[in-house]
Amino acid sequence: MKDILIPELDVTADSTKISARGVQVYYGETHAIRDIDVDIPDKAVTALIGPSGCGKSTFLRCLNRMNDTITTARVQGDIRIDGEEIHDPRIDPVQLRAKVGMVFQKPNPFPKSIRDNVAYGPKIHGLTRTRAELDEVVEKSLRRAALWDEVKDRLDAPGTGLSGGQQQRLCIARAIATSPQILLMDEPCSALDPIATAQIEELIDELRARFCVVIVTHSMQQAARVSQRTAFFHLGSLVEYGETGDIFTNPADPRTESYITGRIG
Amino acid sequence: MTRKHHITTAFDRDLEAIQAMITRMGGLVEAAILDAVRALETRDVELADQVRRGDATIDALEEQINIEAARLIALRAPTAADLRTVLTAMKIAAALERCGDYAKNLAKRSNVLSTMPAIEGAAGSIRRMGKAVQLQLKNVLDAYSQRNADLAEQVRQGDHDVDQMYNTLFREFLTHMMEDPRNISACMHLHFIAKNIERVGDHATGIAEQVIYLVSGVLPDDDRPKADNTVISSGTSG
Repeated sequence: MKDILIPELDVTADSTKISARGVQVYYGETHAIRDIDVDIPDKAVTALIGPSGCGKSTFLRCLNRMNDTITTARVQGDIRIDGEEIHDPRIDPVQLRAKVGMVFQKPNPFPKSIRDNVAYGPKIHGLTRTRAELDEVVEKSLRRAALWDEVKDRLDAPGTGLSGGQQQRLCIARAIATSPQILLMDEPCSALDPIATAQIEELIDELRARFCVVIVTHSMQQAARVSQRTAFFHLGSLVEYGETGDIFTNPADPRTESYITGRIG
Repeated sequence: MTRKHHITTAFDRDLEAIQAMITRMGGLVEAAILDAVRALETRDVELADQVRRGDATIDALEEQINIEAARLIALRAPTAADLRTVLTAMKIAAALERCGDYAKNLAKRSNVLSTMPAIEGAAGSIRRMGKAVQLQLKNVLDAYSQRNADLAEQVRQGDHDVDQMYNTLFREFLTHMMEDPRNISACMHLHFIAKNIERVGDHATGIAEQVIYLVSGVLPDDDRPKADNTVISSGTSG
């Protein structure tokens, strides 16, 4: 009967890309997230959901050490990417962030041309040697972000002149230009209309063929639509983590059920 | 009905997967009915056993369709034609599952009948009736995959013929039983078989109504001609 299953839904064979054990984050005296243990698969989309203040964004920001930039934040515990502890003193956070790209809630293109927005990362990381090589990276990234056809004739126009949905895809192109392995997305569609949202979601679905994608979203329906795994956070704890279809049809924890059915939040 | 692709292609993939499972289930049911009536006519015990074993696959497909439909509702919140696609898939799967059961029951009775003296002409009539019902199923499944409400309506109207075949058989069996009480056992089995095939025809009609609902959004009124009049005409039995 195996052949009647939808193959894309089968995530059991995935290998672990990110492995977190006993992760704690404190903001000053506040214990923001506690004891997070989670294995995030490669080549799949993992959604982090939960009410505001539940710690999902905080956890996402641990994965590329963005919390280092907040002076009051303390991160404890073990986070490994491909088995390598990211807090190891030999790890350069700048290199880590090139490997773990990030897309934010509000599209934030640099006040530069479309081309320069995408070329910026590869340039500062010295990933390309010639102009031709750089152009190639720009085109490839814009194509993968499903934006190339819309902007190929105006690469020198300012990135800020694009529509909101296009700006967000530009930010995704910029994030993937440094050839990251992991893509973190913090509410990437919350500033977009439904059509632009659907386009970004379709793009996310395509990106998972190459990347490990972790997305924080307030929209449970978005988590349901785009992810293969869903993690539900509540009051700083990871309540439930599992295959998205299972979480949304038959959650194991009553708190998960209450949240996804709109009874707490 | 406009059938453009969704921006989120995974949505199309999930909907198509459910519909592909319906089509596959329908094909298995059609084959089961044809094989069962052929096993009856040729007294082929091996073929009948094969039909009985095959029902498990049909049941498993129904379960799988229900799981995928629940999943699709939970994950994609379908609306309008998408919602009707999911709702009708669940109903059609349930109807096909029943038809599979009838085929299995037919195969079971066919093996019992193979140990009894044959009733003249009965197996051939049953095979023709089975063939007619299988054609109804085939047409309604075509109507489903083509989203063709007109073809579905034709299937609805065509159930009349199956009902009449059943009426004729019903009278034939009564005659045989009155002629010689030793025929009663065999005729009772044959009658159940005919009745079950007639039920498969009713399910094909039900599926046709689902197809019309799927395409138009409205369930058809119950004004189709009915011809199963054994209840009124026979008085004591039926």
